Amino acid sequence: MSIPIIPVELIRIIVALGAVGAFVGLNGLVLVYVERKVAGHCQRRPGPFEVGPHGLLTPLADALKLVGKQLFMPTGADPWLFWLAPIVSFLPVLLLFLPIPFSPVLTGMEVHLGILFILAFSGINVLALCLAGWGSNNKWALLGAGRAVAQSVAYEIPLLLSLLAVIFMVGSLNLSEIVRSQGSWPWQWHICTQPLAFLIYFTCAVAEVNRNPFDLPEAESELTAGFHTEYSGMAFGLFFLAEYMNMIIVCSIATVVFLGGWQGPFFSGALWFFAKMYALLFIIIWFRWTYPRVRFNQLLNINWKWLLPLGLANLLVTAFLMKIF
Amino acid sequence: MEVLAKIAFGMYALIILCGGAVTVTAQSLVRALIGLIATLFAVAGMYLLLAAPLIAFMQILIYVGAVCVLIFFAIMLTRASGEGKEAATPTARPAHQYANAVLVLLAPAVFLSWVIIRHPAKSVPVPAKVTVAELGKGLLEPYTLSFELISVVLLVAMAGAVLLIWEKRRKE
Repeated sequence: MSIPIIPVELIRIIVALGAVGAFVGLNGLVLVYVERKVAGHCQRRPGPFEVGPHGLLTPLADALKLVGKQLFMPTGADPWLFWLAPIVSFLPVLLLFLPIPFSPVLTGMEVHLGILFILAFSGINVLALCLAGWGSNNKWALLGAGRAVAQSVAYEIPLLLSLLAVIFMVGSLNLSEIVRSQGSWPWQWHICTQPLAFLIYFTCAVAEVNRNPFDLPEAESELTAGFHTEYSGMAFGLFFLAEYMNMIIVCSIATVVFLGGWQGPFFSGALWFFAKMYALLFIIIWFRWTYPRVRFNQLLNINWKWLLPLGLANLLVTAFLMKIF
Repeated sequence: MEVLAKIAFGMYALIILCGGAVTVTAQSLVRALIGLIATLFAVAGMYLLLAAPLIAFMQILIYVGAVCVLIFFAIMLTRASGEGKEAATPTARPAHQYANAVLVLLAPAVFLSWVIIRHPAKSVPVPAKVTVAELGKGLLEPYTLSFELISVVLLVAMAGAVLLIWEKRRKE
């Protein structure tokens, strides 16, 4: 009897997907806790404190509550679109982690076009927001979806331009190679050669994942909860998890492209990667409790009048300097 | 690997056909869009099978991530309702119209398969891998003219849209 040969790549992808699933679940819990604690301390209160020591088990209780809740669908909603949306929002997230090099060994899959892969699949999230907004048959949800489209289409352009500047310098779309092109000391990282690109990227990244001060698609004070107004239980939970995971993804890309990835002073490895990534995540959470939400016209003005021209100019100067030196 | 590739090809082909059918027959515009997106995804999968990952990812980035979202935006600007019954229920048509439709459907398929059978392409068993750098060189050196000409299509489409609006305005 011949044993059917299973290709090694397939096994590797399946194992990596399993690991990513565990990482996603764990980080969902951790980030909920961090978010609430940071919120608490920013507002001079201790944050969650009751369940477990220092409230450590609060996110677990939250998760159980979400899983236990009944799933509702409003009357007049399109059932197909309504239930498809949370799944479409969550599924690409698992794929997005595959090409990220956490360390030279800890890479799910070496994709030569890694950065393109991530950018391509992260665009699907907007589509999920649109489906949710449209399928809910609710005016708040629809307004949220409309805002999500305008916002993400606009902010994707300077985001791509800022990453392109670094890709020009490295000459590769492979994330591991981008990391290897940087040294272990902070002044050898791309953030020193491309500081403007980093600022543009980080601003656009915060807008792309719909975090404060750019969280207009789900602005609580104006739109109840925006695109996910009608979702309850785990359907909302999936959107929530997808948002946190997208935050991790954009911070990981920033770490890889601008902050030297796994390389750091004295030793290099996954520890440095996670330290930089969580520092960026902390900054994003800090933003939320520091800045007020921008108005919609301000949001679009920031993008079309500042970030886009700056990104283009940065790219031109980069290309020009590359040609000279 | 060979068998897996064949299975993948079959799945992609099935998704393309089903997605296309949904796009054409759905009564709600947004559902039709979902069909279109499924088709575009499966086409990207086909590109991956052809060892052209750059084109596959570009397909997802541009068509799914940008074009479909813009189509969604356009749908929001129409007066489509959330319950989604934009298309009228199909009424019975005279038989010769169905016959014409089948003819129109089959003509390109018959023609193309005849061409392919008469002039088989010199195919290689495993698709050749082309790096991004080679692809860029190719587009900007030997194929510059065709590359630029393709973008004219976009201009023609825009000019056509403007023209259509003018025609409509004159009638009003």
